[in-house]
Amino acid sequence: MPRFNFWTGVMVLTWLLLISLLFVPVGSVLLSSLYDQAGNFTFANYQKFFAETRFHQAFFNTLVVGFGGLVGALVLGSVMAFCVSRFEIRGGKFVSLLAILALVSPPFIGAYSWIVLFGAGGVVRGGLREMGVNMPPIYGLGGILIVFALKFYPYVYLMVSGALSNVNRSLEEAAEGLGLTPWQRTFKISFPMVFPALSAGGLLALIHAIADFGTPRLLGRGYNVLATEAFTLYSAEVGSNMSMATTISVLLIVVSMIFVLLQRYVSRRNVYHGNMINKPVRVRLKGWKNVAAHFAVYFIGLCGAMPVIVAIIYSFRKTNGPVFQPGFALQSYERILFNLGDVVRNSLTFSVGAVVLIVLVGTLIGVLVARRTNLNTALLDGAFMIPYVMPGIVIGIAYIAAFNTGPVVLTGTAAIIVLSIFIRRLPYMVRTTASSLRQISPSMEEAAISLGYSPFKAFLRITVPLIVPGIIAGGMLSFVTAINELSSSLVLYVGRTMTMPVRIYLLILDGDFGTAAALSTVLLVLSGVAVYIAFRFMGRNEQALL
Amino acid sequence: MSYLTVTNAIKQFGGSFTALSGVSITVERGEFFTLLGPSGCGKTTLLRSIAGFNDLTSGEITLDGANLRLVPPHKRDIGMVFQDYAVFPHLSVFDNVAFGLKPRKVPAAEIKTRVTEALAAVRLGALADRLPAAMSGGQQQRIGLARAMVINPHLLLMDEPLSNLDAKLRVELREEIRDIQKQVDIATIYVTHDQEEALAISDRICVMSAGQIEQIGTPQQIYGNPQTRFVAEFVGTLNSLTDNDALKAVLGQLRLSAPGASWAVRPERLGLGEADAGSSDGVVAVPGIVGKYTYLGREAHVLVKTAIGELVVHLSNPGIEATRQPDEKVSVLIERSAPMAFDAAGKRLPAAG
Repeated sequence: MPRFNFWTGVMVLTWLLLISLLFVPVGSVLLSSLYDQAGNFTFANYQKFFAETRFHQAFFNTLVVGFGGLVGALVLGSVMAFCVSRFEIRGGKFVSLLAILALVSPPFIGAYSWIVLFGAGGVVRGGLREMGVNMPPIYGLGGILIVFALKFYPYVYLMVSGALSNVNRSLEEAAEGLGLTPWQRTFKISFPMVFPALSAGGLLALIHAIADFGTPRLLGRGYNVLATEAFTLYSAEVGSNMSMATTISVLLIVVSMIFVLLQRYVSRRNVYHGNMINKPVRVRLKGWKNVAAHFAVYFIGLCGAMPVIVAIIYSFRKTNGPVFQPGFALQSYERILFNLGDVVRNSLTFSVGAVVLIVLVGTLIGVLVARRTNLNTALLDGAFMIPYVMPGIVIGIAYIAAFNTGPVVLTGTAAIIVLSIFIRRLPYMVRTTASSLRQISPSMEEAAISLGYSPFKAFLRITVPLIVPGIIAGGMLSFVTAINELSSSLVLYVGRTMTMPVRIYLLILDGDFGTAAALSTVLLVLSGVAVYIAFRFMGRNEQALL
Repeated sequence: MSYLTVTNAIKQFGGSFTALSGVSITVERGEFFTLLGPSGCGKTTLLRSIAGFNDLTSGEITLDGANLRLVPPHKRDIGMVFQDYAVFPHLSVFDNVAFGLKPRKVPAAEIKTRVTEALAAVRLGALADRLPAAMSGGQQQRIGLARAMVINPHLLLMDEPLSNLDAKLRVELREEIRDIQKQVDIATIYVTHDQEEALAISDRICVMSAGQIEQIGTPQQIYGNPQTRFVAEFVGTLNSLTDNDALKAVLGQLRLSAPGASWAVRPERLGLGEADAGSSDGVVAVPGIVGKYTYLGREAHVLVKTAIGELVVHLSNPGIEATRQPDEKVSVLIERSAPMAFDAAGKRLPAAG
């Protein structure tokens, strides 16, 4: 049958793709960590890693910021999710919007906005000092944890609020009837029900916190983590140490992988399929409780979105060189228009290119995984977990290691940036397509076949129109992550292929916050448009952003 | 030669699970043929093999003399109605029904008249321009039916088309399906696990169990003269009679015997008499006491504890005076034609005597 051959072809190409863009680069990372500078096989890198205090400290620090960020995100996210899904909160939609804003905000800008407010010369800190309150600057571990909690709480919030509004109210009523106090009810009934969502959201926060490079870089002031160490080793002008950088990359992958497997293991039994006959209702709180709930929700939401708000305001401030002047002006935007057009163009072309590839390839593989389930596709599904947990900086270093020499040299090209974005976001598209396909009954295609359409035509005429909205939405969300991608591009860019996030990073390092803020605002507007289009096509579904 | 023949169909999944183990059926032109059985009996597998969605491991399928297994599913010209309706949500009702006419290169004007007729037949004419998403299950299945019929297929297959509908609508729509099928005169194979539905709708019924055929026959033959214990139990209900001396006495009085058989009797073939009712020629009265009386409106079920086992007696059209109290003494009346004998393998034995 021709259909069989077509899909076998897709299968073979998928494996080739995975091998060339994932296994070979990642494998070469693994391998190069096992060789010294002279090219001899050795475990010295690992020995060195475990012997040197500097790396010990970075490893320990990574775990600290990872779990600290996790705890912060869990607390903020669950408080907000609980309040929004159980109590009547005025402007609940606006609060969700604030969470989305925090989620799609450009990287780096978060950390820097907090420095603007609470740094050594911070606006708020300065104001407080005038009133006689002396607060320490935000640098160091404390600052990193605050930023992580506010940056990653939307993962937990979006996951848990979805789960909480799907807990059948009858269960809680039954527990009430059995004499459990509200407190017992929350912990014995509601908590186990939302645990899978809670742990999944927490995992996302943890993985992103471990992989995050920008925040510790800007706020750490000597507080180094694995991601920053890897970048430092890689980018050191003198004595760049690739093999040590790759060693750290391997350890970063291993740590992320362990947490993914751990989360799967912990939540493996906690899958509940409740019927939704009795939906939970929102309670209208009275008095101080109402004030407290509103305060909590708005405080978290506004703090999370604060960097974005600060960036937008500062983008319109009058500047003289990098120095802000009183009053407002469009100078920062003029600078983008006249000097940074190519950066915006690069970002747009790379992202669009990556998204087109992602949509085409991801859809085909998604169909393969969803419709032709066998051992091979199950393996494929598993292989796609790897880019999911791969920190961006590792992909960057892996691509440099793999495509610097050898048969295919891509270093310094646009292709290497597009491909790195492509492979990282591809798994999401595959999953989106597969899950939207699984919602379409196979009998739909069979009906078309029985009416005289060949299997391929039936797929084209029936299935494709039904999954197109999901594909467009998935593509738009991929665009959001693609255009905001920093850590892999930072390793892979050369002057010609600089993207907006990289430029923002460099501008911040140069102290030109006005232009950085304006560029971030442009990025935010582009992301916002993409999110809006995605929501138009699939209905408002914040969880798809995760 | 019959219109559709399936000969010795065997279907194995994954080498270990046998869904069909040597099934042979024949269907005549215009016949309404039903595959009846519990879930997992292979009825849907057989239907899907005929449609071409799964190929048989071995066996033959011919339609009008041609080997159907050589024809790809989209060229078989077989209309199919699905359990989950499979109505295309992005097409209007009209376009759903017209969908199958397009690859047949039917001219636009003819499409219009044929679709309009088909929609009128399923009483959906007024909804032609609507999208099916918001329609009820019954309406969606009518679309499915019109869509399968409008292409004038060689064969119509229906896979539990009514099982997702509520009870009242199920009865209503099954009558319509029956009427429309007779009108268009297309041979139809219908799959269901609902025995009442099968009896109401079919010309012939094929009862299946565990990948094998138990019995093929008209509704009257299946219900009135089941050839296996499985058929008797699956189609209708059955009282098993305890094998003891009391039963031997009863059978002796009725002049029935079948060596080594186990006996059973349908509840509606039993009568209920007063405690002092005597046996007469061809009817035996077995004394017992009432265990439970269940009133169901058009009938009542009385559980009577007797020496030959706990027997359920169905009384039709029970009045207020028919009500029995627990522990009341009664007798169960058994006619000579009522008991059925089955051998150890469940095959029906002739009850000679």
